[in-house]
Amino acid sequence: MLGKLDWSAIPFDQPIPLIAGAVVLVAILAVLIWVVVKGHLPYLWHEWITSVDHKRIGVMYILLASVMLLRGGSDAIMMRIQQAVAFQSQGYLPPEHYNQIFSAHGTIMIFFVAMPFVIGLMNLIVPLQLGVRDVAFPTLNSVGFWLTATGALLVNLSLVIGEFARTGWLAFPPLSELSYSPGVGVDYYAWSLQISGVGTLVAGINLVTTVLKLRTRGMNYLRMPMFCWTTLASNLLIVAAFPILTATLAMLLLDRYLGFHFFTNEAGGNVMMFMNLIWAWGHPEVYILVLPAFGIFSEVVSTFSGKALFGYRSMVLATMAICVISFMVWLHHFFTMGAGPDVNAIFGIASMIIAIPTGVKIYNWLFTMYGGRIRFATPMLWSVGFMVTFIIGGLTGVLVAVPPADFMLHNSMFLVAHFHNVIIGGVLFGAFAGFEYWFPKAFGFRLDERWGKLAFWFTFLGFYVTFIPLYIAGMLGMTRRMQHYDVAAWRPWMLVAAVGMAVLTIGVICQVVQIVVSIRNREALRDRTGDPWDGRSLEWATSSPPPVFNFAFNPDVRGEDAYWDMKAHAKQQQLEHDRPEYQDIEMPRNSPTGFVCAFFATIMGFALIWHIWWMVILGGIGAFATFVVFAWRDHDEYVIPAEEVARIDRINIEERRRLVSMAGAV
Amino acid sequence: MSDQAHVRTEHDLAPGEEEQHSVGERVIGYVVGLALALLLTATSFFIAGTDLVWQPSIPVALIVLAIAQMGVHLVFFLHITTGPDNTNNVLALAFGLLVVFLVVGGTVWIMAHLNQNMPPMDQIMPMRR
Ligand code: HEM
Ligand SMILES: [Cu+2]
Repeated sequence: MLGKLDWSAIPFDQPIPLIAGAVVLVAILAVLIWVVVKGHLPYLWHEWITSVDHKRIGVMYILLASVMLLRGGSDAIMMRIQQAVAFQSQGYLPPEHYNQIFSAHGTIMIFFVAMPFVIGLMNLIVPLQLGVRDVAFPTLNSVGFWLTATGALLVNLSLVIGEFARTGWLAFPPLSELSYSPGVGVDYYAWSLQISGVGTLVAGINLVTTVLKLRTRGMNYLRMPMFCWTTLASNLLIVAAFPILTATLAMLLLDRYLGFHFFTNEAGGNVMMFMNLIWAWGHPEVYILVLPAFGIFSEVVSTFSGKALFGYRSMVLATMAICVISFMVWLHHFFTMGAGPDVNAIFGIASMIIAIPTGVKIYNWLFTMYGGRIRFATPMLWSVGFMVTFIIGGLTGVLVAVPPADFMLHNSMFLVAHFHNVIIGGVLFGAFAGFEYWFPKAFGFRLDERWGKLAFWFTFLGFYVTFIPLYIAGMLGMTRRMQHYDVAAWRPWMLVAAVGMAVLTIGVICQVVQIVVSIRNREALRDRTGDPWDGRSLEWATSSPPPVFNFAFNPDVRGEDAYWDMKAHAKQQQLEHDRPEYQDIEMPRNSPTGFVCAFFATIMGFALIWHIWWMVILGGIGAFATFVVFAWRDHDEYVIPAEEVARIDRINIEERRRLVSMAGAV
Repeated sequence: MSDQAHVRTEHDLAPGEEEQHSVGERVIGYVVGLALALLLTATSFFIAGTDLVWQPSIPVALIVLAIAQMGVHLVFFLHITTGPDNTNNVLALAFGLLVVFLVVGGTVWIMAHLNQNMPPMDQIMPMRR
């Protein structure tokens, strides 16, 4: 009846996950009860859960990422403490638990923190920057988000029901095959990623189409803000690479569920095929993450330097070059497989070549700053911190891309330091820069600068104190994923890294405090003009937060830095020209399709993990029925009357007039 | 979102969005496509089992038929043309082909070298002693 599920699935003998799970459960219940009692449920349902507004969906993505960042961060703290104490002893985490933690940490951080964070920012900002009212497929967008949330939910469920994979974040066979991992851990891993992978693919298709097809008048390709370009490149990579991940995991699942032999040791399976396929997705994936961050830095650096981006066209070229070359380097993740000098040399050289466009970008940012009037607001701090940090990470990347060096450093702590160096220093710093930069746009008030700067400095310092020691430990021969060790030379570095982790944690706490303080002081921090940073691109041309329809009139674009241009003209003409006649605007209706789909997908995923076949069928039918109902609905749009548009727009124009006249008076 | 405001240049159309022919013409297009697709499928099945042709040519024939099949789908069902209104789609197709070529070609090359660093088996055996 319930497949493999019974009471032994609940880890009563392991206090840590059980208590953690109980606390989270109580917290969720408390929030739910509060929501229901206070009568917020209809608001949540109508304004958020069923919303197909790209801004709302973007915010929900970022919220998901932030919550999961706390979960992944707790895993990180536990691992750092374990390695600090487990010198010539077992530490406090038994091996099977430690292995689940590092696997969950990697999976969560890549798939449920970094991915939703950058996809959320792209969703939130790209339509605004393009000067349009929505993404290409609004309802599909909501489906994508909710499927991602389903994946995250399943991963967290594994904490209290069953177990998570102990195989690392990429579940390499033969360890992940049934013979070595008979439990449900790998199944939790694989089904979460299959379901959220569909969500990611959907988001990718949606954003590619949006950039290619929906641009306002005059917004031709070479006038798009840099963030739109990197969005295009990153989502092209999603569309091209995620199917590889899906197919690879599907093969692993066939091995596990139906006795196939794709990656088994026996019967002609080949484990190296898994390495090959998973990294053919895996390397593009790291650029899927970091390209949007590059875009964010481009926006931030040019805004806070008060200058147009230096070398815009070379930046576009570098972005597209990275997009293609990222598909030519994947073997650098398994040089040691033994494919021989020819193959290793070619892929090593290709890996070094990809550092060139990245270097071009760094120089462009530096030259953008050069001679500019730089304001070191929080987003700019993150950007400068990124440049310094990412250069180190890129250089160690080039180092391990040299095959002979990699034979020494592969799977050592040096490698761990490399990829945290580029992912924290690149992706996470980028996400934080974007968060600080666009928060006023999303919510209508600024974030507290003092706490923001504190958060930056603690995170920045904490990062170095945590990860430089890992580079050194790697040089001293320490391998990754050790539950305990006996080498005295590594011990001090593990202790330093634990201290660094504490500093990083303070940084995260500052960030939380920053949000709380800013919400408290929101009246004082209110952004009335919609343009708090003296921005250059179109998202600043509308109010903060923007109305559902983003723009009363789709703006006319005459060059790069569209909004900067408009401001320059407006100052000359004192905003004299009146707006043309307002018109009705049609917007897509809200739809519960995404939420309902994800509900059934959750049931189906859970049932697949536990081999509860009747429930699988139930979930499958439910998801399909949801799709049919959606496809047959008649009214998918509603009209916002012209008077309403006019009313909303006039408020915005008034505020802006005041801003311009104040600027004129100075 | 059927919005008058996001204007499209006429060189920027999605597949299926090109100026609408009459229903009859479109149906004929799909029927021709279906017929061709069926024909190619049937031929593949026939060739695979037949001994009417020189046997080693069968895999080659199957590959050719498969590629023709993709072409039929692209032209008749996905409406890829070479016209200027199709630049986006052709570029997307080219990018897709490039990626497939890189991944498949790379995989074949890598896996063919899988055992390069292994000593030959006949040397391993004596070493065992
Ligand atoms: C300058 C460009 C870069 C080069 C040349 C480079 C090179 C490498 C190489 C050779 C490895 C494999 C080392 C080994 O396993 O022994 C590696 C691992 C890795 N890199 Fe990079 N990298 C670069 C940039 C990046 C960026 C931008 C990211 C992410 C945003 C990234 C994320 C990773 C990850 C996640 C791994 C390890 C995955 C694992 O084994 O679990 N790298 N890199
Ligand atoms: Cu790589």
